[in-house]
Formats: sequence, C-alpha cells, structure tokens
Amino acid sequence: MTLDAQIQATVGAFDLDVELSVAAGDVVAVLGPNGAGKTSLMRALAGLLPLAGGRVALDGNVLEEPAAGVRVPTERRPIGMVFQDYLLFPHLSVAENVAFGLRARGMAHAPALAEAGRWLARVGLPVEGDRKPASLSGGQAQRVALARALASHPALLLLDEPMAALDASTRVELRRDLRRHLESFRGVRLLVTHDPVEAMAMADRLVVLEHGRVLQSGSPSEVTQHPRSRYVADLVGVNLFRGRASHDVITLAGGGTLTAAGAGNGDVFAVVHPRTVALFRSRPDGTPRNVWEGRAVDLDLQADRVRVHLAGSPSIVAEVTPAAVRELGLDRGDQVWIAVKATEVNVYPA
Amino acid sequence: MALPAPSGPGVRPAAAPLPFLLLAGAGAAFFILPLIGLLLRTPWNLAWDQLRSTEVLTALRLSMLASLSATAVALVFGVPLAWTFARVTFPGRAVLRAMTVLPMVLPPVVGGVALLLAFGRQGLVGSWLAQVLGIHLPFTTAGAVIAETFVAMPFLVITVEAGLRSMDMRFEDAARTLGASRSTVFWRVTLPLVRPSLVAGAVLCWARALGEFGATITFAGNFPGRTQTMPLAVYLALESNPQAAIVLSLLLLSVSLAVLIALRDRWLGTP
Repeated sequence: MTLDAQIQATVGAFDLDVELSVAAGDVVAVLGPNGAGKTSLMRALAGLLPLAGGRVALDGNVLEEPAAGVRVPTERRPIGMVFQDYLLFPHLSVAENVAFGLRARGMAHAPALAEAGRWLARVGLPVEGDRKPASLSGGQAQRVALARALASHPALLLLDEPMAALDASTRVELRRDLRRHLESFRGVRLLVTHDPVEAMAMADRLVVLEHGRVLQSGSPSEVTQHPRSRYVADLVGVNLFRGRASHDVITLAGGGTLTAAGAGNGDVFAVVHPRTVALFRSRPDGTPRNVWEGRAVDLDLQADRVRVHLAGSPSIVAEVTPAAVRELGLDRGDQVWIAVKATEVNVYPA
Repeated sequence: MALPAPSGPGVRPAAAPLPFLLLAGAGAAFFILPLIGLLLRTPWNLAWDQLRSTEVLTALRLSMLASLSATAVALVFGVPLAWTFARVTFPGRAVLRAMTVLPMVLPPVVGGVALLLAFGRQGLVGSWLAQVLGIHLPFTTAGAVIAETFVAMPFLVITVEAGLRSMDMRFEDAARTLGASRSTVFWRVTLPLVRPSLVAGAVLCWARALGEFGATITFAGNFPGRTQTMPLAVYLALESNPQAAIVLSLLLLSVSLAVLIALRDRWLGTP
C-alpha cells in the first residue's frame, strides 16, 4: 500500500505545494513550525480541503485529480483521522464515538457497539465505553480518538499533532503507546507534528515543511546529520542518540557514553545541539564531563558556519565558525578532542 | 510605588451620582409596578373558577394548539433557513436574512395586513389557493397559526443560526472522515451539537407565538374557539369581565416567567 500525493491547494493567501510519497511500511512524520501548512496538508489528503491541482492516489486508486475531474468526497475515502484536539463528539458516549464510523458505514447498532468495545479494550480503555468524552483525561481522549479512527479499518491513517493537547508528564508514555499502535496498523501512516523530538521518536521518515513547501525529506538520521538548509539545521540538525541511562550516565546504543545532568534511569533519547560541541587540538582540561577523541570525516560549509562530522565513540556533529576551523587547522582526517558539557545534553525518556 | 491591583469593568463598587441612582430606581419601578398591580388585583378567590370557565378554557386550548403548531411549522422551515444563512454564501443573503427577521421589529398589525395581501381572499397566493385548492386561510385557525408563525419564526431562525455559527465545524469534518454522509452529519452531529440553541429558539418562538395579538386579530380575526387566542380573549374580557382578564393575564405572565427561568443560563447569566 502506498500513498502518492502531489498537493496544490490554496487557503486564503497561503498556498501549499507538496509532493509526498508514503509506503505502508513507514511511519512518516511531517515536521514544521506552526503555519507551515501541516494541517492544511492533512485536510487536503482527507478531502476536506479541495485541491487546486495535483493528484492524490492511494494504492493506485485516484482519490482526487482536479485536471481529470476526479474528486472522491471525504466520506467515501478509506481514511481515519486523529484531529489535533481529538474532536470526540461531546453528545455521544465513548463507545458511540468509536462506533460512529461503523454505524455511518451501515453496521447495525449492536454489532457496531460490540466492535467499539473491542477497540476500546485494544487501546487500553476496556471499561470507559459508557462515559462521556468530557470526563476523559487528555491521554484517554487521544486513545479513544485513535480507536475511533482505526475502527473502520482505514487504508490511510492521518494524525494531526496527536500529542499537542497532552501535558508533558503523560506525553512520553502515550508516545510509546501510540508508536506501538502505529506499528500494528497495516496501512499508510502519516503524522504531523511541530516537535522534532516527537517526529524523530515516532517516525521512520521525516518530511520537513515550511511555508507550504517541502524543504527536505529522509530518514531521521539523514535529516539530522545532513540538514540541507539553515532552517532545517536549526529545527532538526541535532545529534540524536538512543541509550540507556543509569545514574546520569547514558550508555549509547551506537557505542560510547554520555554524562548528562538529570538523565535518570531507563531508556532515553539524548539530544546534543552541534553548536554546543566544542573541538580542541589537545585534550582540554576544565569542567566538561564528556571528553573524547574523534576524527573529522567531513567538513560541511554552510554560509557562516561549518558542520564538522566526527567519527568516534560516539560519532557526533559539531558546528563551529569558519574562523575556528582555521585556528584549529582542521581538515578531513584530523584527530581532534571533542567536549560536551553535561548540562548541554538534553535527555528525553524514550 | 505599588501599582493598583487590576480590576475588570464594573467589578469594584462604584460611587454613583445620586440623580443617576434615582433614575435607575424609577426605571426598575416601571417594570415592577405593573407586575405588583397584577398580583394585588388578582381575585384569588375567584381565580380557579375563572380558569375553569368555558371561554377561558376554549381560548387556552386554542392558544396552545395554535402556538405549538406555529412552533412546529417554524422548526420545519426555520431550521433549514437558519442552516442556509449560517453555511451557504449566495448573493442577496444579507437582504434575504434581513427580510426574514423583519417581523421582529415590524408592528404586528402591519404584518397582519401584509399577510392578508399575500394569503387573503384577494391576495397574491390566497386567491390562487382559494380558486385552485379551495383553501381559505384568513379568519381560520390555520390563519391564526400562520399569523403566529410569521411573527415568531424569526426568533427561532436567529437563535439557531447563532448556534450554528458558533459551533466548531470541525466536528462535522471529523464525522465525514468517519464515513458519514451529509445527511448523517446533519442529523447525528450538527443538530445534537446545536441542541441548546434549538431548544432556546423553539421556546422563544413558542412564547412569542403564545402572546401574539396584532397579526392574529388582523389576519385571522377574533372568533371564539376558532381564532380567539388568549391575548385576544384578555383584551375583550377587559370590557366585559375584567376579573377574567386579570386571571388570564396572570396565566400568560406565569408562562413568560417560566420561559425566562428555563432559559436563565442563556439570558440571565450566573452572577
């Protein structure tokens, strides 16, 4: 199953021109700041925003192609959508919300409710069916919204900022749950977010969107290590590590360790911004807790800064000024000392 | 220097000038005195008998029938009209909308005259109705219903329209992504979500229909049992049987009060 979309649409003064191809095996995250056109992209795929041009095809079936006069209305598209604030129908019970799509597609009341009950059990809310959405917590509402979207077995699952309405304390756990549910879903999965960490944690592929255009796409490691523009570098051009923390020392999955302030214990993501990575010709003394040796494998000049790709344990990208490169006399293949302060390692539970 | 604590308008107690307070008091008395008059002059010992008299019961029954029918007609035509005003953009919408709410500010007698010119024996539609279908609306109970609908439906239309405009339309989008057709969306999502406005609009419409006088007497006349609704009966009884008029007035007042209390969240707010 694949989604192939070329989307040209206009919303007021804003225009969207995006090409997107998503295979069923991948979770794709569309990442961009507020106002980049992420929600419009979702609405266009759902058929809620008419295309001005382009084409949307799911598994070879054309859902919309203005030039050919084709437009399948939203209610006949095989889609499921989780909206940013979930939009659970306040007048219906939780079970009736989940059963809504089945009922709308013609299933009788009793079997639809029974099926809804099974979905609620699957998302971990087996006894919440009779409650009204207003009495649910944010995390519960998210799971109900997911169950509602999945209940009618869509071929394309669209999630618009699924974490934005949650508070930070529940976000981590729910991200893990959501990731698990996404993995068990056999269809095309597309997720929209403004949070780079969330995108990298959830997705196999990133699409960076700004001003209605795709700036870059690729795997999270490709995009973070080789951001092709200043904007992408600022947004996601960070060093992302996975590892296991124990007493503030993180043993990284790819080799090496990092010491971080307040890393706690357990599986974590560690994010180090390249700007905070310092380079030295000889072993520095002083306070940095993380000091190791690496080899400069690549120097990537970007306008006013140089991204230095360093192989070591761990490998890392540093961002320094051209003047600093000259002072260090740094060139490809050189050995350098790398230092990162423990306070510059940002840790997120994985 | 410490900054004064911020306070919203009208929150802190204000020292109002005395003449201002006197005027406000007179204004309030203007509303309260007639109610007190009505209550003081009610012949309570006779009230029950008056209420049970044939003419009062007839007027009451007719009023109920006509006002509830008018509300039903207003719901059938008014909800689609409100939906159209709220959701469909078309040339002339503003003008059409103004014309449909015109009866709210139009003197009801003028409305009655206009109805006669449209649906009367010689009227635009009325002559055709009489000749082709043999239907005569003026001076019938159906005519009373039409007069009441004409005056009361705008209350329903603007209330429901406001409800539709303020509802989050993304709920309808969500329903459509779940496979709901337009009519399913309307019945299962839109209408339930605007239910408070729908109820308020219908109650308002019914209360207005119940009190309708001018258009009814002009278009439908004043025939006991056929078109003589409560307000008409009150007006006539004032000459022949003032005590009955007072009792009937009290009854209508109770209905209005009940409506006001039922809709208190909407109008009175919570102090």
